[in-house]
Amino acid sequence: MSNIAVAGGRATWRGRLRAEGVWQPPDTRRVLQLALAAVWLLDAVLQYQSFMFTKAFGQMLAGTAAGNPSVIAGPIGWDARLVEHHAVLINTIFATTQLLLALGIAFRPTVRAALAASIVWSLGVWWFGEGLGMVLTPSASPVNGAPGAVIIYALLAVLLWPSDRHAATAPFTAARAVGVQTAQVLWLVLWGSLAYFALLPGNRAAQGLSGMVGGMAGGEPGWLASLDNHAASLLAHQGLAASIVLAIALAVIAVGVYLPAPAARATVVLAIVVAALIWIFGEAFGAILAGGATDPNSGLLLIVLALAYWPARKVPAATAPAAAGPATHEAAEEGATP
Amino acid sequence: MIGIPGFILDFFAALMLLVAAVSAARLALDRPWHRGLMNADVDGAHVLMGIAMAGMLVTSLSTLPNGVWTVIFSVLTAWFVWCVYRESRGGGVRVLMDSHHAPHLVHSAAMVYMFAAITTPAAGHGSGMAGMGGAGGAMPTLAVPGLAFIFAILLAGYAVVDLDRLSGPALHASYLPAVSAAPAGVPVAAAATGSGITSPGPVPAAATRPEGVATLPEQAASPPPPAGARGHGGGPFRDLLLNPRTAAVCRIAMGVTMAFMLVIMI
Repeated sequence: MSNIAVAGGRATWRGRLRAEGVWQPPDTRRVLQLALAAVWLLDAVLQYQSFMFTKAFGQMLAGTAAGNPSVIAGPIGWDARLVEHHAVLINTIFATTQLLLALGIAFRPTVRAALAASIVWSLGVWWFGEGLGMVLTPSASPVNGAPGAVIIYALLAVLLWPSDRHAATAPFTAARAVGVQTAQVLWLVLWGSLAYFALLPGNRAAQGLSGMVGGMAGGEPGWLASLDNHAASLLAHQGLAASIVLAIALAVIAVGVYLPAPAARATVVLAIVVAALIWIFGEAFGAILAGGATDPNSGLLLIVLALAYWPARKVPAATAPAAAGPATHEAAEEGATP
Repeated sequence: MIGIPGFILDFFAALMLLVAAVSAARLALDRPWHRGLMNADVDGAHVLMGIAMAGMLVTSLSTLPNGVWTVIFSVLTAWFVWCVYRESRGGGVRVLMDSHHAPHLVHSAAMVYMFAAITTPAAGHGSGMAGMGGAGGAMPTLAVPGLAFIFAILLAGYAVVDLDRLSGPALHASYLPAVSAAPAGVPVAAAATGSGITSPGPVPAAATRPEGVATLPEQAASPPPPAGARGHGGGPFRDLLLNPRTAAVCRIAMGVTMAFMLVIMI
């Protein structure tokens, strides 16, 4: 990039900061971008926990290699050893990078750069920090965070990209940048894969889901441990039935995006409810309250993602703004937030 | 156990002292005794929080015992509850995002919680709480960690919303109290020289704030500044300090640091 281009870019966003105008309330997509920024911010401050500056963090990363094919596990092991030996330096870089991503997404002039960087960062963390969300291992489960929280960050960054190439035909926010068909396929693949994971042998086992939920109680505050233990009791010896019910619900959600708007809304609501149940009972809010969590886990992000697929109300063409450029906040979707 | 590296705590402590210094300078320059106490509560709160948080982060910077800070921030919280109540009349729940004082209420309440719920490790000493990177790396923890989590989410939410509002083409109405003394009919931009605040046009005496740029009703009704009081146009440094965006940046820095402190003490 030439110096002129750089100088021009700076002038542009500085100019935008000083430009006269009326404050514009954020539209649905911007609200969701801000939610993503808030989750990144939470992620960043979690990364600053004292535990992360110890060898234990590297050992935790090494643990994600287990069960993965050697081509995936090898680089994870190398990365984990590097983190173990330089824990303070590397974790400081990790945490600060995530903090900058959060601030960058929230700051309007840098939203594109920050979202692009977040995609690259997320893909790296998905491999080296989460072992591809364990999706290649028999232990993958929608209840314990598969396909990996961080890949949903990347997916959200793509779907919430500030572009309106498909805005005219977009029935929901997630389709504005990538188009309806791409957004629908991404939704189908994500929730369909969750349905598949729910039926893996580890989840179908009599004590599979019960053990998973009960195992989250350790180290949690009394009220949350009690919730987890009660849920684990309910699921005890019901692994097969519970996993089938869960898989059916996830499959319905997966195809719901192809249904007419009223039915699609119902499946988005179902998606939010299932994601909330997973976040509370299966993930114990990402185990943040127990200390040592690296992120809020997948449940919260699935809720944000589901909101991006909420079918918007039709706005009569006469009331929609005539020139809704990429940098403006389009009123066409105002009121679409559920 | 190894605690958080000292340089990170030092950085955040320095940031908080900078916020306190900037807010103190704003208080001195804005002459609230001339212009009314419109923003003095916010800047005053930032000064107190900056000093208190720096003391929490680095033991050698602690100034007052925890009990005293708890009382101070309880009073501040009560004040902001009153302010939010006043602003919320007729505004309903929406005021929690749009109100000028709601974020400060959350900040103050989080400070009360931190000072009231902290469990100081045995290794910690000093007049305040043990520094977070204190002797032996013993990290203080917070009772009722669920509350810390809720506060952290709220603070993260307000920080990103603030940053969004700060970086738009014009400022949200909740940042406008600094120019509240504009006489009726005078464009807000004219009353906020150098502030970057813009208004679609003259603000009537009974201005409302439907969505965007306008003064709060009570601000519009405020009397104009005394004849002897200087305006904001007194040089770039002064303009920068008194710019509402500067207060917003302070608030963002404070919110991020507070969320950081809450999470690392869970």
